[in-house]
Amino acid sequence: MTSEDGRFVVIFNGEIYNYPQLRAELETDGVRFRTTSDTEALLHLYARHGADMVHRLRGMFAFAIWDQARRGLFLARDPYGIKPLYTANDGWTFRFASQVKALVAGGHISRDPEPAGIVGFHLFGSVPEPFTLYRDIRALPAGHIQWVDTAGPREPKPFSNLADVLAKGSANPGPTAEIHERVRAGVLDSVRAHLLADVEVGIFLSAGVDSGALLGCMRDAGQREIRAITLAFEEFRGTSEDEAPLAACVCEHYGAHHIVRRLSEQEFVEDLPAILEAMDQPSIDGVNAWFVSKAAKEAGLKVVISGLGGDELLGGYPSFLDLPRWHRRFGLLAAVPGIGFLARKLIAAVAPTFSRVTPKALGVLEYSGSWAGTYLLRRGLFLPHELPGVMDAEIACEGLRRLKPLRRLAANLTPDPISENARVCVLESAQYMRNQLLRDADWAGMAHSLEIRVPLVDFTLLRALAPVIPAFTPGAGKAALANAPTVPLPDEIVTRAKTGFNVPTGDWMNAAIGRGSDAVGRAPEAKGLISRRWSRAVLNGMAPANAQEQLHAS
Amino acid sequence: MKPPPTMLAIVTDAFGGRGGIAQYNRDFLETLAETGGVSSITVLPRQAPDLFVLPERVEQTPARPGWIGYSVAALRTALLRPVDLVFCGHLYMAPLAALIKRLKGAKLIVQTHGIEAWPRPSRSQRAALEAADLVLCVSRHTRSAVLSWAAIAPELVLVVPDTVREAFTPGDGSTQRSALALEGKRVLLTVGRMDPRERYKGHDRVILAISNLVAKGHDICYLVVGEGADRIRLEALARDAGVSERVRFLGRVGLQTLVEIYRTADLFVMPSTGEGFGVAFLEAMASGTPVLGLGVAGARDALADGELGITASEAEFPATIACLLDEPKPDPHALAAAARARFGRETFAIGVRAALDRLMEAT
Repeated sequence: MTSEDGRFVVIFNGEIYNYPQLRAELETDGVRFRTTSDTEALLHLYARHGADMVHRLRGMFAFAIWDQARRGLFLARDPYGIKPLYTANDGWTFRFASQVKALVAGGHISRDPEPAGIVGFHLFGSVPEPFTLYRDIRALPAGHIQWVDTAGPREPKPFSNLADVLAKGSANPGPTAEIHERVRAGVLDSVRAHLLADVEVGIFLSAGVDSGALLGCMRDAGQREIRAITLAFEEFRGTSEDEAPLAACVCEHYGAHHIVRRLSEQEFVEDLPAILEAMDQPSIDGVNAWFVSKAAKEAGLKVVISGLGGDELLGGYPSFLDLPRWHRRFGLLAAVPGIGFLARKLIAAVAPTFSRVTPKALGVLEYSGSWAGTYLLRRGLFLPHELPGVMDAEIACEGLRRLKPLRRLAANLTPDPISENARVCVLESAQYMRNQLLRDADWAGMAHSLEIRVPLVDFTLLRALAPVIPAFTPGAGKAALANAPTVPLPDEIVTRAKTGFNVPTGDWMNAAIGRGSDAVGRAPEAKGLISRRWSRAVLNGMAPANAQEQLHAS
Repeated sequence: MKPPPTMLAIVTDAFGGRGGIAQYNRDFLETLAETGGVSSITVLPRQAPDLFVLPERVEQTPARPGWIGYSVAALRTALLRPVDLVFCGHLYMAPLAALIKRLKGAKLIVQTHGIEAWPRPSRSQRAALEAADLVLCVSRHTRSAVLSWAAIAPELVLVVPDTVREAFTPGDGSTQRSALALEGKRVLLTVGRMDPRERYKGHDRVILAISNLVAKGHDICYLVVGEGADRIRLEALARDAGVSERVRFLGRVGLQTLVEIYRTADLFVMPSTGEGFGVAFLEAMASGTPVLGLGVAGARDALADGELGITASEAEFPATIACLLDEPKPDPHALAAAARARFGRETFAIGVRAALDRLMEAT
């Protein structure tokens, strides 16, 4: 879209949820809108406020504005990194797109591999920004702006910071008694904002607390007709692992129309090539996101609400317990220089079987000395010292040098968010959620022409909750969320959700990569080991052709 | 307002030096001094065999060929005067430049050219480059190579291509044409050093193509300008191919002669595989002579991806020469104007200034 005077041209991917307020403000200031699109608001805001406009936006966005008068390009990406934005610069020409694949398809970009991206994938199971699998393609990091002119792109500049919001919250803590009210008001406000749409908004509904509570809040926000999509697995039908009956109960509770989509292993196998094809960057997950998006498309939905982000925001992951515990237990000992390395060598020498079956145990003393290290230990698919054994040793070494995984994770914790909950919240949101969950939701949704909206991934909500996040005791955040709707979630949902649900996709993945048969008769393998093999299968299916041989030289 | 910064230039050679790197350094430093981007430049060369005139605001210390003597002199010079910017003209001098940067709290610009920056350098050179505040590359190829081994923000690595001097213009080349007795001949030309360690310029490919061209009816004369120890081998190659009377090695020539030789040629050919950029392509085009290269490495930039020069694969190269000689020589003035618009001094000055402004604003 071009501004009326022709000076600005915008290209925009995303949704601005506070568009009505922005438009009202701008019109009060005398701006005349030509369309009813939030895209136009970006043009007016940029013309009036320049780069500072980004602070006024609530939503998910990646956009570029060409300024004809200054002959430069302004790029911006939302604070959480919900929408992707990739750039490539060869020194003469700057290119950008929402997908790595689009840039590659355009030609003229080197496909030389980026060791940091490949190493990052092996460490985390997804490619950590700003890297991609290709050296010449980079992500504009979440919450950053970038200016490009005749001298090329300038270094991206941050305009928002998760750690900063949480640090401010920790410094001005709210009373524990306020938790429920803050969560209720904040989540309802976010849901209301996320329902702004020209088309029907549906919801992904599991039997968990997050999506159930969001469904209740959709009701409170005034939406009468709600269609909820639940992904269920054929082989769990009639067992306690089946989420469909509980989800149906939630639907009935809130008077929503329930659509249960049953998935079989056969369909998984049939879709696998299409999944790998749609995956923009390799990911060890995204399978569930693919099928639930497919179900929404089949139901004719274009926009859905998802509970993604609830575990990060409200302390739902086991890591909120494990990280502080591990760090307390081993951190002091691990701070002794060299002890981790020695312990690892010693254990590997005296107990080789132990080190093969539980490879991460070897890393405890090496990594638990810092929060970033403890996180890597908890979440890592492989640990850095294992990489030379699973990929080309030279690429592993070069990739680690370029990625600096510990320093990069630690940088997310600046300024220090002070409380343990807030630290884990930042690490999970800036690493796992940003690089894995949000990327998976994006490519899986886009492949089905579906817009996935995430009210629990919202900076306004984060600001509202930051003062009480330090005070969350285990389960308190989720309990507050379950009570957010006027009609709270049924108790059985809250109780059942605590034990979690299984998905059979891990076994399917294992079978799909040909390990099903020889695993028979053995003790079931740890989930982590399956993920490791799966990650290699994904990379094999996706990696740039000229990188293949280098990747698996070992 | 702050006065413009002072610069210390750590270079192999600049004023009074020979070859492409010295030329680039002169163009770069002159442009900086002319546009007022810096208040003064002190140039520390290791070599300066020729006479030279210094532009305003530029001084150059006596050449010091020995590495130890050079380093001591550079450190002493750096410590005795204010230094805001350190310009390092060659990757292998980057560790010294990075040391001066640290000692003086100055900003560091590292200039990279061609093959010296393509393979992974020593650890100390790599660390020095990664400490730079700005890395300039003459071509996209060199930039890509640098980014393959350096862990540095790609936004700090800019391409500022070579520029072509004002002396190269289209015009009369008849003096050289008659002096070299070229009437009625189809003239091919290569200008470049013949270094036996760097046999990448591709003289061989041209020499071996000649007999076929002659068989197709082209009365070829191949002029080779430049010096170097590989000349003896190339002369032997021409003899073995039976075309020695059609290949003329002219050695090193003066600027005015060079301009006229460029004008005289029907086609400038340099099927090189190792150019950091290939400034001779620009000189030929600015003199109105079409150019043919392989379109690999830095030469792609000089040929502007085929927009200004002609690119051919190695296999197609001999046939492409024949094809081009079948056509009359295109309008020299149009080609020269296009080449100058893209690579002239003005465009170069804009690029240099933009790079410097970028560096200074990041304070």
